[in-house]
Amino acid sequence: MKTTLLHVVPPVSRDRIISHFPKWYTPEACLQFKDHFHTQVGSACQRRNTGAVGLKISKVVVVGDLYVGKTSLINRFCKDVFDRDYKATIGVDFEIERFEIAGVPYSLQIWDTAGQEKFKCIASAYYRGAEIIITVFDLADIQTLDHTKQWLQDALRENEPGSSFIFLVGTKKDLVSTAACERTELDAIHYANEMQAEYWSVSAKTGENVREFFSRVAALAFEKSMLMELEKSNSRMAQIGAGNLINIEGTSLEASETNHQANVGCC
Amino acid sequence: MRYAKMAASATTPMAPSSGGSASALSMEEIRALTDLSDLEAAYSRLCAEEKAVEEELEMLLNQQCSIESKMTALHRIGPNLQLIEGDAKQLAGTITFTCNLAENVSSKVRQLDLAKNRLYQAIQRADDILDLKFCMDGVQTALRNEDYEQAAAHIHRYLSLDKSVIELSRQGREGSIIEANLELLQEAEQRLKIIVTKKFDEATRQEDLPQVERFFKIFPLLGLHEEGLSNFSEYLCKQVANKAEENLQLVMKTDMSDRRAAVIFADTLTLLFEGIARIVETHQPIVETYYGPGRLYTLIKHLQVECDRQVEKVVDKFIQQRDYHRQFQHVQNSMMRSSAVERIEPRELDPILTEVTLMNARSELYLRFIKRRIVSDFEVGDSMASEEVKQEHQKCLDKLLNNCLLSRTMQELIGYYITMEEYFMRETVNKAVAMDTCEKGQLTSSMVDDVFYIVKKCIGRALSSSSIDCLCAMINHSITELESDFGEVLCNKLKMGFPATTFQDFQRGVTSAVSLMHSSLQQGKFDTKGIESTDEAKQSFLVTLNNLEVCSENIMTLKKTLESDCAKLLQQGFGGEQAQPKIDSCLSDMAAISHKFRDLLQEGLNELTNSAIKPQVKPWINLFLSVSHNIEEEEFNDYEANDPWVQQFILNLEQQMAEFKVGLSLVIYDSLTSLMTTLIAIEMEKVVLKSTFSRLGGLQFDKELRSLIAYLTTVTTWTIRDKFARLSQMATILNLERVTEILDYWGPNSGPLTWRLTPAEVRQVLALRIDFRSEDIKRLRL
Ligand SMILES: Nc1nc2c(ncn2[C@@H]2O[C@H](COP(=O)(O)OP(=O)(O)O)[C@@H](O)[C@H]2O)c(=O)[nH]1
Ligand SMILES: [Mg+2]
Repeated sequence: MKTTLLHVVPPVSRDRIISHFPKWYTPEACLQFKDHFHTQVGSACQRRNTGAVGLKISKVVVVGDLYVGKTSLINRFCKDVFDRDYKATIGVDFEIERFEIAGVPYSLQIWDTAGQEKFKCIASAYYRGAEIIITVFDLADIQTLDHTKQWLQDALRENEPGSSFIFLVGTKKDLVSTAACERTELDAIHYANEMQAEYWSVSAKTGENVREFFSRVAALAFEKSMLMELEKSNSRMAQIGAGNLINIEGTSLEASETNHQANVGCC
Repeated sequence: MRYAKMAASATTPMAPSSGGSASALSMEEIRALTDLSDLEAAYSRLCAEEKAVEEELEMLLNQQCSIESKMTALHRIGPNLQLIEGDAKQLAGTITFTCNLAENVSSKVRQLDLAKNRLYQAIQRADDILDLKFCMDGVQTALRNEDYEQAAAHIHRYLSLDKSVIELSRQGREGSIIEANLELLQEAEQRLKIIVTKKFDEATRQEDLPQVERFFKIFPLLGLHEEGLSNFSEYLCKQVANKAEENLQLVMKTDMSDRRAAVIFADTLTLLFEGIARIVETHQPIVETYYGPGRLYTLIKHLQVECDRQVEKVVDKFIQQRDYHRQFQHVQNSMMRSSAVERIEPRELDPILTEVTLMNARSELYLRFIKRRIVSDFEVGDSMASEEVKQEHQKCLDKLLNNCLLSRTMQELIGYYITMEEYFMRETVNKAVAMDTCEKGQLTSSMVDDVFYIVKKCIGRALSSSSIDCLCAMINHSITELESDFGEVLCNKLKMGFPATTFQDFQRGVTSAVSLMHSSLQQGKFDTKGIESTDEAKQSFLVTLNNLEVCSENIMTLKKTLESDCAKLLQQGFGGEQAQPKIDSCLSDMAAISHKFRDLLQEGLNELTNSAIKPQVKPWINLFLSVSHNIEEEEFNDYEANDPWVQQFILNLEQQMAEFKVGLSLVIYDSLTSLMTTLIAIEMEKVVLKSTFSRLGGLQFDKELRSLIAYLTTVTTWTIRDKFARLSQMATILNLERVTEILDYWGPNSGPLTWRLTPAEVRQVLALRIDFRSEDIKRLRL
């Protein structure tokens, strides 16, 4: 109803500032091992040489069975609330969360989808162009883990192969004992490796690992989009020659560092 | 004086003098002096000291007078001070006295106040007791006369009395009488409640609206707000149900040829919603007057239950009559490309898709209506309420709106709709592609217009549902469709390439024909007529370039239109708080694919330049090498009469570009000529550097270059000069009289000219002149 023409962007809150590369949850299933930003990205950020103008934004799609805790996970992170009452998501919900990564403003656009079969048609219309796919299951309900594969498959169908980061997230960690959690995690890590996903256990109720998880998501997505931007402007420069375009160091990207999927042996 | 001072300083040499400074010389030191000159020096020093001390003393003595006068003044003040002390004591006494007096007075006032309050309370109580009596008597009479309003008013008065008053009255002297009367009053209250409920029920059964309203107004007087609202809603619900039943019966009897038959379910819902809205409008004033603001929510919550029940019936009938679920299943099966089932004809879906969006639009309109009503009613009711209460009310409202069966059912229908609309769009687009034709003289082919017509239609229909989620979903599907399916078609057309015609490129033509056959076999949906002739293949390529441009533009136009459409929708209050960012997100993807089409166009143009223009232009330019530029007067004149190269080259270019000029849009043609001129400039440089020139040969080249630039300037809107700057500078060099003449144009003498050639290149060009000696060139300082 109100269209803000002149919106002054307030500074991002403190816990949304990421200056060090966030760590994985388990080395058994993670997308990257390194603990620092890609050297090129780091230096480009330092020089504030972050390519084209405008805010960078990545699209996140959250999928998974009904009642596993997708909405709660997002609400814990974005609003820092937890609601015990259950309210099924109808269609799609949407949040934008702003970060500052390595000094550069960055946003995650989080699409929360409905898990019910009858709302799947509308939800799946939102899968396209997802830079990040988060598949969620309930640590206390092993069946929901089984279903993550199908959810992922549906989401991947609408996206270019290899264009999205995938996360597998077990929720409601507070509801299971440490031993049970560890047992389920073994299975989950196995799944994650098959899905080429990074694994995380979290609790929306206690907030355990929620911020760490989203920081990790944001940092990985940020780095990838920066690398793509750099690559694009490099090839543009190669095409047109040393011209009047933004000057970003013109060496080609190190192949080893762009190779995201750490090859992990599984059990 | 002098002596005394001397003596003083002699006896106590270390003590400070009256001026505060000791003599610089001690007695011993003076005694120790033996030399006359030393003595004289010491003497003069002591004299100077003495003088200073004297001056100081003088000053102090001068002050004595003023100090003395101050002392006498002080003595004079003495007695006055004693007077003041006495006065102050007296004042303190007065103040204390006044204070006590005030204290005395005010305590009396306080007592008076208390007395007054008690008096008031006593009067109040007396009034209350009188009221109570009055109520007791009144209620009986009113009940006897069946004047329920009056009876309720008495009960209301009784209920609003202070309970402690009643309690106190009981303990009074007339306690027992009051007790008895109170019992009667309570009994009357119960009786009245029963009577009112019964009468209300009767009135509702008889659908006697005036009586219904009459008793509805009495409930709040008896403190029965919730009961009143719920009973009244029940009555209203029944009315809604009856009307809805009738309407549904009418639907079943509607003739299929009826003008509104295709949207009959949407119409039925509309009637239902309008009915409820009318009820709300009609009864809101009584609710507000007799129940107070903030109660509308309760009424509507009750009504919504009936609304949901009726919606369910209508939707069930809709699903049954329109075979909605089976159609959806059928679509889903057809979506699996490999499936063997007979595909559903998209045109058949058209009416049902329109009807569903209309149904949703009506529901959104209705929900917006009740939202507005409840919000403004809460606003009045909650004007003094705490933030928590307000939030609680907001939560209730959200829950009512989002979780009512109406919302959920519509969401479900819209979900199926989206899949069917997606199918409709995809199939129709495929058809448009399959039936693609290009009329002679048209720049674009039919499918571009057709595809955008379809996409606009589908998005427009989604928009007409008034659901932002539905719209965004369809925008997403449209983008996917344009990008993947349709984009692939255009991409494949480009991949077929622009067939070359010259002999050298025979082979290329063959491969492109093969790849064409290959890809059409793979696609299975291509018109195989495409390879009938090279001409057609050429036209197809050029048309594809035009198509890409138009697509890219159409997408941007569509985006703009949608932006303003959405703004309107949001202004009208549709969509939740996140609606705007949702829309922004989906529309930004639209801009991205518009750019993709542009990039594809650029690729196509590069391809055209490389495969069609370059292979032709290069040999034409190479002919330059066979025309000697190492010439004398005679040949120069001969060239003048019979142009050896450039005219033919221009003619060739003109012929070649003519084909593109008619086949491409102005903008694309312009880009193409720009690419061509770049190519010509590069190739020309190569041949110039391979030739040798005499003085007249240089002049000849200059003439040729001027003709070429003049021609190219006429065919493009881009500036040619810049692209030919290096060549022009080469011509300048080749036209020099002497090697050293270059210095007239170089460095500080270059004037407005910016050299595009490096010094090494300048030397290289100079060396092309056979008459310039290499030593001279080497000696040049550039
Ligand atoms: N104990 C506990 N309960 C949770 C947690 N996350 C979600 N829930 C509860 O699980 C139910 C479903 O959560 P919701 O986020 O709506 O699931 P969704 O359908 O996947 O969006 C709600 O009742 C939540 O309160 C958690 O981490 N711990
Ligand atoms: Mg949810």
